[in-house]
Amino acid sequence: MSKYGETQTVLHEEKFLLDALNEMGYQVEVHPEGAPLNSYYSEQEANVANIIIRRAQLPSAFGDVGFVRQPDGRFTLIEDELDDHSGYGRKWLGRVQQIYKESQTLAVAQAKGYHLKSRQVIETSEGKQVRLQFAVRR
Amino acid sequence: MREKTITITIDEQGKSTLDLEGFAGKGCERVFDDFRGGDLLKVERKKLDFYSRPQVEREKSQR
Repeated sequence: MSKYGETQTVLHEEKFLLDALNEMGYQVEVHPEGAPLNSYYSEQEANVANIIIRRAQLPSAFGDVGFVRQPDGRFTLIEDELDDHSGYGRKWLGRVQQIYKESQTLAVAQAKGYHLKSRQVIETSEGKQVRLQFAVRR
Repeated sequence: MREKTITITIDEQGKSTLDLEGFAGKGCERVFDDFRGGDLLKVERKKLDFYSRPQVEREKSQR
């Protein structure tokens, strides 16, 4: 082994975020200038997001879920406070990040000419892990 | 020539591990950065190969 690293996925690229959400079965709205999210309590001040999944597609959700592009280019999750505990909090975001990272990794590998040797899904006590192995032909 | 391999493991918490084998020096750093992208680096360790391969190359170039 030459080098080992551990990273936390940061959602930078809109394309891979949209791919991930589509793969999870959502039809998303994209608003480059931002659009308001509907929340459970209509008197709450509306949050604005650039990528929105409407509540109708989110079983048990209290409001819409969205992603906002930050000044540094990252997308961050924004949701009704109540939804952090209704299935659209950290755990849900982790699944989005997992699919995003796999798509991004495969795209990088293809662009750089790395050959995909294997893809495995491994069951662990903390959920599924996707293991991708690439070879370098040079 | 030893095969170079890249193994990436992605979990459901949005964390990844990146394991490079058979690489050395700047080539290793370049590949690592390619796959890391803009992700937040939590842990980074260089292994023996990282340092040893350039030494061999240097010895060859001195002959």
